[in-house]
Amino acid sequence: MARPLTADALRVAHLSAQAEMALVRRDPVAGPLLAQAARAADGLPGGPSLALAARLVRLPADDAVRKAAQALCRIGAQEAQAAVLGAAR
Amino acid sequence: MDDLAALEREAIGALGLPADAEVWDAHTHLGRDRDGHHLDPADLVGDLDAAGIACACAFPADEPGADGAFTAANAAVLAAARRFAGRIVPFCRVDPTGDWAPALARAAAGGARGLKLHPVAQRFALDHPGSVGAADEAARRGWPVLVHAGYGARPIAAALAALLEQVPDVRLILAHGGRGDFRAVREVALAHPAVGFDTALAHLPDLVSIPPDRLAFGSDRPYGEHASALHLVGLAARVAGWGPAEVRGVAGGNLRAWLGP
Repeated sequence: MARPLTADALRVAHLSAQAEMALVRRDPVAGPLLAQAARAADGLPGGPSLALAARLVRLPADDAVRKAAQALCRIGAQEAQAAVLGAAR
Repeated sequence: MDDLAALEREAIGALGLPADAEVWDAHTHLGRDRDGHHLDPADLVGDLDAAGIACACAFPADEPGADGAFTAANAAVLAAARRFAGRIVPFCRVDPTGDWAPALARAAAGGARGLKLHPVAQRFALDHPGSVGAADEAARRGWPVLVHAGYGARPIAAALAALLEQVPDVRLILAHGGRGDFRAVREVALAHPAVGFDTALAHLPDLVSIPPDRLAFGSDRPYGEHASALHLVGLAARVAGWGPAEVRGVAGGNLRAWLGP
């Protein structure tokens, strides 16, 4: 896994958090936001979680799937935040 | 869904626990919330088993019931703790703007070991006379008081300070790492040694700026889940450079000490 530039990690953290909140609100923009987050995280920490979340939200709507995608968004955001914090220390 | 299971295993393993450490979950809800979230005791214990977690503190979801006093919901949590002795530590939940004292006394008689207060769901301030009274009663019984301090929280630092001035010996656990009002809350909390935080759905940058002896692992099941909750604590340990003793404490040792005998 590549060590991300701080700006790249910040972008992933921001997009992941936006996508998680869209999922909580059942906002249809969640899918496009997750696709964007997954692209931004490709090859970076959090990338596998966000790629899977982006795949999950393309499945037929289901609460369990939505909750799983939310958890994956959180993991993606946490990984990106850890990269930023690690770079700052 | 093999990918999901693999990621879940990886996340659960992220904590990197010392072999002799036990994980205790400070923050779970049983019952059915008004918003539709629900969890029954057998499913909670199944979740704990799947994540390798020894024990969980549990309290009612936002389910005040017909009397508004959480009577049935508290009774259900107490029954769950009796059914799963050693796996579930029962906390009661009250509405401090209502007739909280009999509800708390009933729960205490049934074996409750802590109190949950939710200032957003029950719409009160932490320095409301009922909050102060309930916290004082909990302190008298040696119970910790877990307070929602996350999503939807209004500024709570001033009310928290006022509560602590009136009940200085209360053991408070501010949920969600205090993320609803973190910077102001941290200043108040760190001035009071008996105030800690749980990590449930907390914000990583907040967790790494709190001394680890003030933290207790939490998941917020069924709103959160164990994999990302453990993953968060594992990352915090790595970023903040916690040693094995500190990880043991956050994983469960601190909570066990706060719960008392």
